[in-house]
Amino acid sequence: MRALPGSSAARRKQEGERAGGRDPGAPRPRVSSPLPALRWVAGAMVVLRAGLCPGLTEEMIQLLRANGIRTVVDFVSSDLEDVSQKCSLSYKALVAVRRVLLAQFSAFPANGADLYEELKSSTAILPTGNRSLDQLLDSGLYTGEVTELMGAPGSGKTQVCLGIAASVSLSLQQHVLFLDSTGGFTASRVYQMLQGQAKDKEEQLEALQRIQVVRVFDIYEMLRALQELRDRLSQQVVSSMGPLKIVVIDSVSAVIYPLLGGKQSEGLAIMMQLARELKTLAREFSLAVVVTNQVTRDSSTGPLKPALGRSWSFVPSTRVLLESKEATWEKATTQRVASLAKSPRQPTGIQVELDTGNGVVQELSPAAPTQGL
Amino acid sequence: KLLARLEGRSSLKNLEPHLFAEEGSPVHGDVIEFHGPEGTGKTEMLYHLVARCIIPKTGGGLEVEVMFIDTDYHFDMLRLVTILEHRLAQRTEEMIKQCLGRLFLVSCSSSTQLLLTLYSLENMFCTHPSLCLLILDSISAFYWIDRSNGGESLKLQEMNLKKCANSLEKLVREHHLALFATTQTLMQKSTNSAESFFPLKIPHETDTDYRPYLCKSWQQMVTHRIFFSKQCNSGNSKGFAVISCHLKRNHVVKRLFSVAECGVQF
Repeated sequence: MRALPGSSAARRKQEGERAGGRDPGAPRPRVSSPLPALRWVAGAMVVLRAGLCPGLTEEMIQLLRANGIRTVVDFVSSDLEDVSQKCSLSYKALVAVRRVLLAQFSAFPANGADLYEELKSSTAILPTGNRSLDQLLDSGLYTGEVTELMGAPGSGKTQVCLGIAASVSLSLQQHVLFLDSTGGFTASRVYQMLQGQAKDKEEQLEALQRIQVVRVFDIYEMLRALQELRDRLSQQVVSSMGPLKIVVIDSVSAVIYPLLGGKQSEGLAIMMQLARELKTLAREFSLAVVVTNQVTRDSSTGPLKPALGRSWSFVPSTRVLLESKEATWEKATTQRVASLAKSPRQPTGIQVELDTGNGVVQELSPAAPTQGL
Repeated sequence: KLLARLEGRSSLKNLEPHLFAEEGSPVHGDVIEFHGPEGTGKTEMLYHLVARCIIPKTGGGLEVEVMFIDTDYHFDMLRLVTILEHRLAQRTEEMIKQCLGRLFLVSCSSSTQLLLTLYSLENMFCTHPSLCLLILDSISAFYWIDRSNGGESLKLQEMNLKKCANSLEKLVREHHLALFATTQTLMQKSTNSAESFFPLKIPHETDTDYRPYLCKSWQQMVTHRIFFSKQCNSGNSKGFAVISCHLKRNHVVKRLFSVAECGVQF
C-alpha cells in the first residue's frame, strides 16, 4: 500500500505549527519488509538536496556527500569547522545552513502561558448522552485526549459508542466520524436511540446524516482513513463534513491483534504508529478520540486487564471498564457497570451503573447483548 | 551569564528531598531516570516537580525555569493548572500565567525530530540562564518504531537514541542542568516472577520490574534511577512507592506517596 503520498507530508510542512513541529518527510527505501506500510513511517531521515533550504547549493551537496554527509541529521551533528576544512566550504555559510535546517525540522518550544491560553479556548468537554458515564468521566469526553472503553464481548462497548455518536450528533449538532472494524455499527440501532431522544423526524434524520461511518477491516485501512481525516481537517474543507470534534473507533484491538505476537517487533511498531497518529490528531485538531479494546486475563482466575499489552497502556489518558451485571432472571440485562480504571483527573475505582437501554422499549432488548461484540 | 547560573546552582537541592537517597540531591549535572509501568505516578511526579520549580519564592517554590520535552503528547496542561491552583496562595489568573511563563514545552514526534530539537535547544539554554531543569517525558516513546526502522542491525536501531543521549549529556554538562527522564516499563523481566519476590543481593533490581532495554549510552549517563510502583495495601492510605537508587554510591531508599487533587503528597 503506497500510503502516505509525499504531497500530504508537504502540506503538513506548510501549515502553521502548533505545539508540535514538522516531520521530516521523505521515506527512506528499505530492502525487505513484510509490512510495507512501515516504509513511510515518521522518523525517516531527510536526505540533503539542493533547494531544501536557501544557501544549500548543488555543489555544496556534492562536496558534503563526498565526505559522508548525506542527511540533515548527519549535517547537523557534525563538527562544522572540520567539515569546512575537509570540503573547503565557507564556515559561515555552513553555520547559516545549519541554523535554517534546524529551524525547519526541529520542534519549536512554546511558552506555558501561551499554551494555556490556547487550550482554554480550544478544549471542549463532550457529554456522552449518558449521565452516569459523564459522571465517571468528570463531565464527559475531553477533547485533546484518547479515551478507552474496554470490556469483554457483549459488555456493551459498541452500544456505548453508538450512544455517544447519537448524542454528540443530536444534542451538540456536530459531526461524528465512526471507524467500524467489527461490523457492529447498525444504523437502525442508532436511529432507535435518536428516536428516544428527539421527537422531530427531521432532526433525527439530520443527526443520522452527521454520523460518518467508515468500515475498516485492517490496520492499513484504518491508518488510511485517519490520514484522510487529517487531510480534510488541515484543509478545513467545509463541505459535507462540518465541524468535527469526535472520532469513535470500534474497535482498535480487532485490527491490531493480527499484528502482534511472534518475534517481530514490526507489529508493535505499527501499533505505536497508530497510537501516535491518534494522539496527534486529538491534540492538533482538538478532537476527542474514543477507542474500544478487549480485555484478557493473566490466568483463569486473575483480574481482568486491558488487551494490547504494556506499550498500548500508556496511550489512553482515561480508561473505563465495562462489565455486565449478573443477570437477573426476570428481565433481560441491559444493566452494565462501568468502572474507572485510569484517569488524569479522578481517583480510579469509581463505579457507576450504566443503562444502555437508552429509552428503548424493552421488547427489543434481546438484540442488544449480541450486538456488542 | 555564568555567574547567574552559578547562583542558581544551589537552588535545586530543595526540589524534592523525598525522592532522593542522599541529601543535597539533585545537583546540577545529575541525570535522573523515572522508571515504571503505566499508572504508577511518574507523570504526576513530574507535574509536582514542575510546580515546585515554577512557583515563585514567595509561594514556597524555587522560581526557576523548566524545559519540558513531551514525546508522546502526554502532557496535560489542565492538570498542571489544577495542581498550581491548589498550591498557590493567590489563585488568580495573573499568578498562574506568571508561573506558567516559566515553563517551556516542546513536543516531538519522532526520534529524529527529538535529536534535531535537542540541537536547536542549545540556543535556548544560552539565552535563558535560569533554565536549569530539563524534563524528558518519555525517552522510550520511540523504542518500537526505532527498532523496526533499524531492521536487523541493533546499531542502526539504537543510533538515534544514542545520538540523543550524547546530545543530552552535552547539554547537561555545558549548561549545568539537571535532567529528569521517564522510561516506560515496556517489557517483562526475563526471570520467573516468583523469584522476583525474594530479596537478592541487589534489592532494587528484584523489587522492580526493571529490564534495561535502552542503549548503553543512555544507561551509562544515568546517575539516579527511581522506580515507581503501585502499592496495593488496602490498609495503607499511600497508593504509590518510589525506590530511589543512587547508582554510583549504591544507596537505596524506599518511600511512599499518594496522589491527591493537589498533586503528589509524601
